[in-house]
Amino acid sequence: MADNNDWEPKIVAFCCNWCSYGGADTAGMGRFQQPASTRVIRVMCSGRIDPLHVYNAFLEGADAVLVTGCHLGDCHYVNGNEKTELKYQFLEEMVKQLGLEPERLYLNWISASEGERFANFINDVTAKVKEIGPSPLKPEGVS
Amino acid sequence: MVEVGDKLVGYATDDEVRKRGASGGLVTAVLAAALEKGMVESVVVLKHIDEYEAVPIITDDVEEVLASTGSMHSVPVNLAKYAVDRKVAMPGKPCDIKAVIEQSKRNMIDLDNTYLVGLNCGGTMPPVLTKQMLIEMYDIDPEDVVGEDIEKGKLIYRTKDGNEKAISIEELEEAGFGRRKNCQYCQLKIPTNSDLACGNWGVIGDLAGSATFCEVMNEKGKKLIENAVEAGRIEVAPASDKAIAIREKVNGVMVKMGETTQEKVFTQMPDEERLPYYREALADCIDCGGCKLACPVCSCGDDAKCTLFHSLGDNYKMSMFHLVRLLHLSDSCIGCGQCTDVCPVDIPITRIQMSFSIPVQTKLNYKPGMNADEKPPFFEVMIK
Repeated sequence: MADNNDWEPKIVAFCCNWCSYGGADTAGMGRFQQPASTRVIRVMCSGRIDPLHVYNAFLEGADAVLVTGCHLGDCHYVNGNEKTELKYQFLEEMVKQLGLEPERLYLNWISASEGERFANFINDVTAKVKEIGPSPLKPEGVS
Repeated sequence: MVEVGDKLVGYATDDEVRKRGASGGLVTAVLAAALEKGMVESVVVLKHIDEYEAVPIITDDVEEVLASTGSMHSVPVNLAKYAVDRKVAMPGKPCDIKAVIEQSKRNMIDLDNTYLVGLNCGGTMPPVLTKQMLIEMYDIDPEDVVGEDIEKGKLIYRTKDGNEKAISIEELEEAGFGRRKNCQYCQLKIPTNSDLACGNWGVIGDLAGSATFCEVMNEKGKKLIENAVEAGRIEVAPASDKAIAIREKVNGVMVKMGETTQEKVFTQMPDEERLPYYREALADCIDCGGCKLACPVCSCGDDAKCTLFHSLGDNYKMSMFHLVRLLHLSDSCIGCGQCTDVCPVDIPITRIQMSFSIPVQTKLNYKPGMNADEKPPFFEVMIK
């Protein structure tokens, strides 16, 4: 493993089509600087994100997983993000019990206009993950 | 007349059933009467093979129901899935009843059609270990045993020649025998979630050993008792205050024991030790899927998320199958121990599952298998 300064964590960000993906887009258009650590996965609604997807991301080698969606009440599908929140409660408790650092999993609501917020969020998470190092669930041979 | 909430002491009128029953044969007689009078189409009972082996059968033959009297502490099978899609009456330990209620929440069992006769349960024992225990601790040939009982914290075995030997459960459990691990920290001993909660706790005086204490929990329980009395199969009388107090006391002691053990077993492991522990324990898994099949709460069937997204070819550090199962059951695990029992490589799955379930269930203040109207929190998605 290269020393920690060179190491770039891999962060999987699940973004909903209507808000947080737009937020990521706005961050780019607004030219807010952010590290190249994220891999964005676009889903139609954050309610589509099953805890299974999050596990899969970790097992495939993600160092952190971000679950993002529209602000509560703004969901394009009425209440999709409320379902996300409910599922996230379980996920959070599971990850805690499993012994993974809580710094590896985040839930955040980002609207399409909040480019700066998205960029700051990515910056913060990347810095924290760099501190704690690679995920213990990373498979052999994946950097 | 019987009312909901009544606490009664009763016994089977048939002398043969009363004698063979563990405590007065009331449960057998109630089940037989329900079948006889057409309240149900069939009854789920255990068919004895020997003292350590029995198979669950679904029968519509009254004789077969009557023949099934007597409790079996060493047959830890869960009966819930036998009630799926049938109009049955069934006896059950608290965990059987919990499982039936969880199945009904998943629309697999119609509770209106299912009569649940709960049995007090201080814990069950694994058959193979029990035989070994009899030889090593009791110095009794397993084949000579004719009866068993748990009383005042002691496990008692009666042999053919009329002798009794009692050893305290604590002593047995320290030696690695005794009740199954999950029973040691179970905290539901009187099945208050059933229709009729029966058992021998609180049967005192002359009646001890030949009568059953039963509490009518709801309308269905009332129907069961009234039906059996009408059919002339049982006789009941209100329980004395002393009997009720004794039953409460026994229950209190048992629940307390469970709580203490739970605290001991589930002391929080330090953060950094947890992941290696789970990984190491689950690494032995041979993907037989037995835990999923045996789980009495699970109702997904063949195309379940836990199996569909799991492949042996994955080079993952933890099994997706177990991760998904741990999450899906975190709010609903009833701690019955079936998964540990069937596991061919002896992974303590129940213990692992419960270490995730206990914090979640405590946090959400949800007790699975207790109230059929309370949906699992994971299902609850509110439309505002």
